Amino acid sequence: MELSFGNALAKILGTTGFTGLTSGHGVMLVVSCILLYLAIGKKFEPLLLLPIGFGCLLANLPFSMMASTNEGGLLYFFYQGVKYEVLPPLIFLGVGALTDFGPLLANPKTLALGAAAQIGVYTTLIGAVFLGFDLKEASAIGIIGGADGPTSIFIASKLAPHLLAPIAVAAYSYMSLVPLIQPPIMRWLTTPEERKIKMEQLKPISQTVKILFPIVATIVCCLMLPGVTPLLGMLMLGNLFRESGVTARLHETSETHLINIVTILLALAVGSSMTADSFLRLETLKIIILGLIAFAMATAGGVIFGKIMCKVSGGKINPLIGSAGVSAVPMAARVSQKVGSDEDPSNFLLMHAMGPNVAGVIGSAVAAGIFISLFGDVSGASPHAQSAFEAVAHIVSLP
Amino acid sequence: MDTATLTTPLTISVIAMSVIFVVLIILIYTIKLMVHLAPYEEPPTPTGTRTNPTAAPVVGSQASPEIVTAITAALGTHLGKSPGELQVTQINPGQ
Repeated sequence: MELSFGNALAKILGTTGFTGLTSGHGVMLVVSCILLYLAIGKKFEPLLLLPIGFGCLLANLPFSMMASTNEGGLLYFFYQGVKYEVLPPLIFLGVGALTDFGPLLANPKTLALGAAAQIGVYTTLIGAVFLGFDLKEASAIGIIGGADGPTSIFIASKLAPHLLAPIAVAAYSYMSLVPLIQPPIMRWLTTPEERKIKMEQLKPISQTVKILFPIVATIVCCLMLPGVTPLLGMLMLGNLFRESGVTARLHETSETHLINIVTILLALAVGSSMTADSFLRLETLKIIILGLIAFAMATAGGVIFGKIMCKVSGGKINPLIGSAGVSAVPMAARVSQKVGSDEDPSNFLLMHAMGPNVAGVIGSAVAAGIFISLFGDVSGASPHAQSAFEAVAHIVSLP
Repeated sequence: MDTATLTTPLTISVIAMSVIFVVLIILIYTIKLMVHLAPYEEPPTPTGTRTNPTAAPVVGSQASPEIVTAITAALGTHLGKSPGELQVTQINPGQ
């Protein structure tokens, strides 16, 4: 085949991305730059927003074949890890390896604060239905209130995959804004006297209990809500790596290299789903607003329940630790410490707030399990399991 | 929007919150049982070492108040004392 200079030039120019650039691509490239600015310039959850922003940028370059829907493209394969619910549980494995359940075990009552903060999930569910979303979509949006990115992605990919991109972006954006969203609500709902309450020193916990907890919690929770097993099972396995004392290499890998690698894959995959036709919709704006309501209501729910526990315990519990019942670990606990020490610099709430904080991780996973029980398929012959096998077969059979 | 459409999410919310509390309350009592059955035992105290809990507060350190708070809380947990009883006097990152 012979090409003249003019034909060759015309062919090369015709295949550049400029010829396929639409206004939708342009807007999404601006959105990706905003995400990159928030990550780099403002340091808002940079470990996640940076790869999400860059994935979005790649996906919106015409002819790049980098969108999650471009079958055969690189990020299409990364996205299969989200679609078939592989990557979020692996993140939970790393989170479990990083988490010390000691403060929770020393004061197990704080688990109730982790439960109370889930009120944000359900008020948002009602709000989402009111705004016209169906129950599955509303559940996926509501879980943003759990302040847990992997859980939000897990539920969105299961119940409303078409809303995955805006839900993931809203969840991670608001998680990074916890230090701005929570303090005004905490101050508004508590008195200066309540904020000054000093809590008793936590009792030490035996290593036997720390080893037994992940095993027993897995059995109890997963028998009651089988749908939660991928998330909670991996969380507890990671924690067992940490506490057993016999798997130092697995523990170290889970809390460092594995979680970092999976974070890159997960965030790029989420970014690759942010195409103009999936993101530039009125629903995205509604989800952003609902996400803010979810976080605010979760914080309020935790603080109000903290006030109730304060009254019941005769003033032994500082209500500020209730706000840490949203799972954003450890940022929410640090916010409790900050607001408490603003009122009394000698008040140390950090370790007390870590109890409800890790309880929030369990609480949001349980909330997710309830949604899966209600709207997902948890039967033995799950089509998801079959499709996961199909996906693997499809990938390995590629040339 | 009709009442039935809003009643369903409300019902789901009430049931789901109840289930969350039931699951986590079961976990609370399970933890209490485990702590009761396997209580913490004080490790043997090494002899010949002493700490000085009443020295002056951190002076001239570059450590932020958050780091001092975290170290104090961790020390309190380790020593079995309230963080209010402890005072971090010096943080030397070189050792």
